[in-house]
Amino acid sequence: MNNFLHAKRRWFQLLMLVVLPGLAFFFSLSAGSLDIPPEKLLSILQQGPGDNIEQTIIWQIRLPRSFLAALVGCALSLSGVTFQAVLRNPLADPYLLGVSGGAALGAVIALTCGLQSTLMLPLAAFIGALSALLLVYLVARAHTCTTHTLILSGVMVGSLAAALLLFLLWRAPSEASRQAVFWLAGNLSLADPGWVSWGWLWVAGGFVLLWMLAPHLDLLTQGDETAEDLGLDVGRSRLIFFAVAGALTSCAVALTGLVGFVGLVIPHICRLIWGPGHRRLIPLSALFGGCFLMLADALARSIYAPAEIPVGVVTALLGAPFFLYLLRRKGAGV
Amino acid sequence: MIQVDNISFAFAAQPIFKDLSFSVRKGEILSLLGPNGCGKSTLLRLLRGHLKVQSGSILWDSEPIEAISTRKMALKVAMVPQSVHMTFPYTVAEVVAMGRYPHRRNILSFSRASDQKAINHALAMTDIVGLVDRPVTQLSGGELQRVFLARALAQNAEVLFLDEATSHLDIDHRLEFSRLLLRLNREQGTTIVQISHDIDLAAAISQRMLLLTEHGETAGIGKPHEVITEENIRRIFHVDVKIENNPFSGTPQIHPLLNTSVHQFRELKIHLICGGGSGKTILRKLHLAAAELTVGPLNHGDSDESVASALDIPMAEESPFRPYSRAVLDKTWQMIAHAEIVIIATSWWGTGNLDCLKLAHRALKQEKKVYLVNPQKTNDYTKGEAWEQICRLKNDGAVVVEREEALLEMLKKDHACSEKCATASRRFLPHRVLPKA
Repeated sequence: MNNFLHAKRRWFQLLMLVVLPGLAFFFSLSAGSLDIPPEKLLSILQQGPGDNIEQTIIWQIRLPRSFLAALVGCALSLSGVTFQAVLRNPLADPYLLGVSGGAALGAVIALTCGLQSTLMLPLAAFIGALSALLLVYLVARAHTCTTHTLILSGVMVGSLAAALLLFLLWRAPSEASRQAVFWLAGNLSLADPGWVSWGWLWVAGGFVLLWMLAPHLDLLTQGDETAEDLGLDVGRSRLIFFAVAGALTSCAVALTGLVGFVGLVIPHICRLIWGPGHRRLIPLSALFGGCFLMLADALARSIYAPAEIPVGVVTALLGAPFFLYLLRRKGAGV
Repeated sequence: MIQVDNISFAFAAQPIFKDLSFSVRKGEILSLLGPNGCGKSTLLRLLRGHLKVQSGSILWDSEPIEAISTRKMALKVAMVPQSVHMTFPYTVAEVVAMGRYPHRRNILSFSRASDQKAINHALAMTDIVGLVDRPVTQLSGGELQRVFLARALAQNAEVLFLDEATSHLDIDHRLEFSRLLLRLNREQGTTIVQISHDIDLAAAISQRMLLLTEHGETAGIGKPHEVITEENIRRIFHVDVKIENNPFSGTPQIHPLLNTSVHQFRELKIHLICGGGSGKTILRKLHLAAAELTVGPLNHGDSDESVASALDIPMAEESPFRPYSRAVLDKTWQMIAHAEIVIIATSWWGTGNLDCLKLAHRALKQEKKVYLVNPQKTNDYTKGEAWEQICRLKNDGAVVVEREEALLEMLKKDHACSEKCATASRRFLPHRVLPKA
């Protein structure tokens, strides 16, 4: 009986894995200022790209955007899972190592310098994020890269970037600073569709690497000395994980600005349902992160249509209460 | 196996070891002992390679430890850590499976049939098969320690390091744990280095022990009975203990000298006549009550004699199996003359100890208080002569105590400890060293 229930639950979970992404994708395509009902959506998808206005909206605008949302959701929750495991802290989030500050600074420098093109902005943000990461690493390396020094230097580099950012915003012309604020809250409409496929390549690479090294993450959660006892080169693998997670975050931030809560909440939910083993946790977090952001983006587009609220607001509004509920139910050790 | 040569190590400005040398032999169980903070765990971490020595060298099979790769090291040695806080709710099965990591050679680290076999074996050996699906965050300290041991067993290394691995275990699992260590040591030749606070148990299972001083120097290394001596324990741990051999295993065992007595007979001078084990409980109780005891005559090797000499009680002593000589009886009389109270606890009377009753009678005449503990006519093997003398003692005023347990109460009633001595300093250990009379 117990076995039967167990098997039934498994099937339900497997079904969810197929159905949920499908639903999220569908919803994300049909929601927006122009409502497209599901049966029409199916036929448009079957017809392929065309000159029809609805075809244009779906194929030229919404499809790339859904892919972008999925990509950013994936990247952020993968990076969240990694940081939480490596730092052995379930409250760690992808922006911990100053990546957000660096990316924001890079983007705002680009904006205030008048480089408003959709091609330049992500590049500037990406360079900013990676330079912040490099700075954090160089500072922490002086102390053999323990998690504490990494976090501390991450926070410091983040504060430094934030101070510079505020200074720049204060000096910037009002148009640029308005756009910068919009970018800081997370916005999926800024990215050029051309970047999305590059972003996917980047995220896919990160995913494969993380999934391959999933047992190392398991070992790292047991503490540095235990991991070493079990034969893991802790310093090296920690560095690899920080680099991969940092690169994933940089990619996400460069494309959409600072989308909060995905990287914190999604790994939690997945861990709650499927346990902490990273062989499972990594693909599941990636999947659910992608779905979550697709849904959040669809909501952001449709609630005040045709106006659009920043997606960061929606993720925080959905994520924070849920997180509080989890904390209340299980404590921080979820 | 492991050769430690003149290592020095310091945390910042705090020196831990200076020129420490010893070796761990292949196939032995070595226990590290020492007071808190002397660096036992640090030493284990140095041996494992988590910390680097500042001078000197550590060789594993004559290979310097720095030259051995992390994975190769994990194949050589498995570690059972002190209980640690678990952050993530891995299941027991997952944690034990982590022990197989150094054996996984493929890039994706997938497990193989041999891994599963080793895991199942480890689970069975540590009696945690029933826990496999439980999250480790919900386990008790003892269960967690068994999980860590299972993980180390799954690692299948030739050396096992244990850092206070039994501190949270109940006695059944502690003994089971020790049995398991012995089995690994004897059957698979596993070399074991352990830190333990259970000195008795460590002494029972170790081939050798290393005792460290609080400054990280070697206080002793060798077989348990060479290292666990009263002198060493007093010097290193600053406590007085008695060490006797465990009658079952013959390994040294520590007896703490805790004064559990509720009575106080400080400055009360008592002489005890006993023999054949009849007096050892009374001796111990009176000793704990801080009475000024003397005892005798006793033959060397008598169980009462071993207790008296263990407690450093002045005694009139005769060679084994010899009737009491004139000299010994004279010495006894000197002791009795010095005492206020004479207690006769002897159970059996024969021609050998008949003279004791005469001494008691003499004491009675000198108006000393004489107590007879549970005299039995059936224990007289002198054809009535002893019993006759006992009856005479009774008539002349000796007090008969029916039960040994009632003796101290009666003494208390008759010789109520004065106000002065009741408030006398409460000594933790009634360890008096009197000059042997």
